[in-house]
Amino acid sequence: MERAVPSRLGVALPEPVSFLIKSGIFLLASGAILYVLLAAGYPAVHDTLHNFRHALAIVPCH
Amino acid sequence: MERLRPFSDPATLSVRVAKSDGRAIEQGWVTIRAEAPKRRWYLSTDFPAVEGSSLVQMQLPLRQGKAEWKYLFPIRGEYRMTVDAATPDGSKATKSFQISIRENERKWLLLGVFTFCLFASGVIAGRIFTGTRTTSSVNLRACLLISVYCLGFLTGNANAQEKEMANYVSRLEVDPPTVGRMSVVRWSLTGTKGERKLAARLTLTITHLEKGKSVFSMENVPVAGEFSMQFQFTDGDEYRVAAVAGLYGGETVRAEKIVSVTPVEPPVSAMIPALALFLAVTALGLGVGRWSKRSVTAL
Repeated sequence: MERAVPSRLGVALPEPVSFLIKSGIFLLASGAILYVLLAAGYPAVHDTLHNFRHALAIVPCH
Repeated sequence: MERLRPFSDPATLSVRVAKSDGRAIEQGWVTIRAEAPKRRWYLSTDFPAVEGSSLVQMQLPLRQGKAEWKYLFPIRGEYRMTVDAATPDGSKATKSFQISIRENERKWLLLGVFTFCLFASGVIAGRIFTGTRTTSSVNLRACLLISVYCLGFLTGNANAQEKEMANYVSRLEVDPPTVGRMSVVRWSLTGTKGERKLAARLTLTITHLEKGKSVFSMENVPVAGEFSMQFQFTDGDEYRVAAVAGLYGGETVRAEKIVSVTPVEPPVSAMIPALALFLAVTALGLGVGRWSKRSVTAL
């Protein structure tokens, strides 16, 4: 039987559901960070990481 | 050819045109067209705007049946080069060549390290998320910091220009360049007394200023007072175009121009595969982390 994870609100989530939610948030955050670092066109970020983007071979730049 | 890498060192390309009996053609010219590797549906190169576009189109005279120039290939893949040769007597011949350029190994290595870092961050997060809530929320922050730290560690209109020297005026013009499209590069030499079609030997060099690399050059090409070609500036940066004409009287006339190339933002379709790959690797790491934690707990 899966262990339930208690929360501060008193709602207990099954451990697999808790894992999925945390993983989803983690992937969302990772995606956002990767997008900003490798794909966004904000000049400050782009100029700093321009050479790094090119060095990764598969990340498109201009 | 095996050693050539994108944006590494310029390659010396030469075309030799011979008659059917093998003897070199004395007089004639070749029209050269080069096209960049076609776009692939899965992973883009680092210059997606260049993929599948025309890179250079020029006509060079043959010297002892040979034409030679230097070119810096901008991306990996199969380049297509078409050469049309023609002689004054009207003979013509056409041939296409495929040139394969492999990616720089250091780039693949860096990509591997970066991908492994993402996988490792996924594994750590997966292990933490399989634990208790309090522990996981604290360690998630640590995990993100590690990822960012790894990233930080790894990061380690052109107007006409005229130059006048003694009795000659050298004029160099470059159409406003944009990545993904060819621009016309024109050079002409006239005498201050109005002489045209002055015979000279032209050395034309195009240099990427930030990288300090010559991306195109041709040396001592005999011209009759003018030369033009279509050329694609493949990076949205500054380039120096320099033309040095050696006159048969011994004088040299130089013209130079700095051009700023308009960059083109890569299309979203080119970004998605790379981001999807990185996220898939992170998700795989999460799964492996959970599996490893559970395997240890079950023992």
